[in-house]
Amino acid sequence: MNWSHFFALTATHQWGSIFPEICLVVLALSLLIIDVLGGRRIDRRLVARVAITGQLLLVLVAFTALIGTDDRLDRETFSGMLVHSQFGQIMRFFFLVSSVLVTYLGGIFLKKNPLPGTEFHAIWLLVTAALMLLAQSNHFVMLFVALETVTVGFYVLVSYNRNLSNGLAAGLKYLILGGVSTAILLMGIALLYGIAESSGLENSARNALKFDELGKFLEFNSDNSIARTGVLLVVAGIAFKIGAVPFQIWIPDVYQGAPTPVTAALAVSSKAGGFAVLVALVSGPFRPMADLLVPVLSAIAMATILFGNIAALTMRNVKRLMGLSGVSHAGYLLIGVVAMFAIPEARNAIVFYLVTYLLATFSVFGVMAHVSEGGRDDIQPIDVYRNLSRENPFLGGVLALGLASLAGIPPLAGFVGKFLLFYAAFKAQLYGLLGVAVIGVVLSIYYYFGWIKEATFRDWKLSRLEDEPSPRPKVWPELGLAGKIILGGLALLILLLGLYPGPLSSLSQY
Amino acid sequence: MTLGIHEFLMVSGLLFAIGFVGLLIRRNALILFMCLELMLNAVNLALVAFSRFTETMGGNLFVFFIITVAAAEVAVGLAILVALFRKRRSVYVQELGALKN
Repeated sequence: MNWSHFFALTATHQWGSIFPEICLVVLALSLLIIDVLGGRRIDRRLVARVAITGQLLLVLVAFTALIGTDDRLDRETFSGMLVHSQFGQIMRFFFLVSSVLVTYLGGIFLKKNPLPGTEFHAIWLLVTAALMLLAQSNHFVMLFVALETVTVGFYVLVSYNRNLSNGLAAGLKYLILGGVSTAILLMGIALLYGIAESSGLENSARNALKFDELGKFLEFNSDNSIARTGVLLVVAGIAFKIGAVPFQIWIPDVYQGAPTPVTAALAVSSKAGGFAVLVALVSGPFRPMADLLVPVLSAIAMATILFGNIAALTMRNVKRLMGLSGVSHAGYLLIGVVAMFAIPEARNAIVFYLVTYLLATFSVFGVMAHVSEGGRDDIQPIDVYRNLSRENPFLGGVLALGLASLAGIPPLAGFVGKFLLFYAAFKAQLYGLLGVAVIGVVLSIYYYFGWIKEATFRDWKLSRLEDEPSPRPKVWPELGLAGKIILGGLALLILLLGLYPGPLSSLSQY
Repeated sequence: MTLGIHEFLMVSGLLFAIGFVGLLIRRNALILFMCLELMLNAVNLALVAFSRFTETMGGNLFVFFIITVAAAEVAVGLAILVALFRKRRSVYVQELGALKN
């Protein structure tokens, strides 16, 4: 199909530049309309199918747009609210792909649990649209509104399983701590706004809520104490979203209580959203604050890597394990953010790492969604995976590939991601951070391979413990064709990107 | 006597601190929501004061978005709290947050 006419149309029209987001919102609303019109007569799976088909179409459209839009880049729309950079386009595509996968996992989850399904998909689509806008925001009002649409949507999704009091408690905990982080972020924005627009200082900005105007102000006033406090508060508010120490206290409980697909969404989309904002701020307005932010972010990154890995060592619940290991991945990504102050190309490494993290995390969560039983979604001990590889080699293989990629084992995508990130840190001469990161990687191999061992080799040493009660009946789930294609595709991509990372790393060259 | 920007900021900072300390020491989930509101309104006060003294409109406009979002947040929060109250018959966080592994 020839899209040139469409692009010619959008070039003269601002609303065309947020065409994918509008489509997502329309899709969400039409799901609700289908539900109302269909009532009880329609198949429960119809809604999930419509959601997935619509999103797949959008992924195709977004991919064609990603390849052929050089002339429409770096353009501000909606009077500076949004900026359409290459980074924003890639993150947009990233969020769409992760949205399709979460919708698929949500379909599996809703099949096992008797809950209304339409609202889940509709809210998730709205959250995705907000995430895509968040990645392109160029103004603090836009950033705040998009971030809060994401967060409020997540409050609902985390406590979606109303029959489970642990799920509701997780939602309440996320809401209260999320509210605090919002207030801290807003206080930072208010301070930055107030100091940057006060006419008493030199180079005061006229529209300080816009990123580039604020950046110009900070360039000349980087030692102003109020501006410094504001920058720190904004970074603290974002650190909550990515789950960095000391704002990681919500992670284990919320990850455990949330439905499995929502846990996957929190681990990938929410974290990537936080990093998209952080990267946009650090490469834009906060760049002059390097002397303040480099030590602070380095300390946060070190503490995050060590805490995440050490706390994950003892976890027996796989959802808590994934949560805490996700904390450590946030730490590795923060190294990239620190390196960006010295070499801006570290942004490519961050994008690549996020993509490998998406592939590996969704393979693991895909297996988790299939293996978990209905009802008690919050209790998923590692013992459930005993002998998975023998009785269902496909699921066992996908799980092993995903976990090994998260650990960063050489032929897989996770290794290339870590290598690029650490190489950027090496070029930026962050040797201390590198040392801590290597310790973290070594620690992480213990718990990732503990899980693989449980799934693959447990039977060998178990022969002398015959009377130990089996924790669950050994009925492994049936994967449909879609499940085989999606999980197999993820595993294949992990292998391919590990062996041949060229295409993606060339895509993120800018 | 006219009030300057410092007085407004002091009140705003005080409200923010009261809200934050309240979140740390109180155990009733409803009071925690009130503390959250207090913190958000402290930000609103700071934004309006800045907006007045720098004679720009950005801060005033931002306040409307904050009020709207805070309303949405509390609506979701109260819904979760009502659902949780039906299960656990309590609004105290130490009895609600029994998420132990």
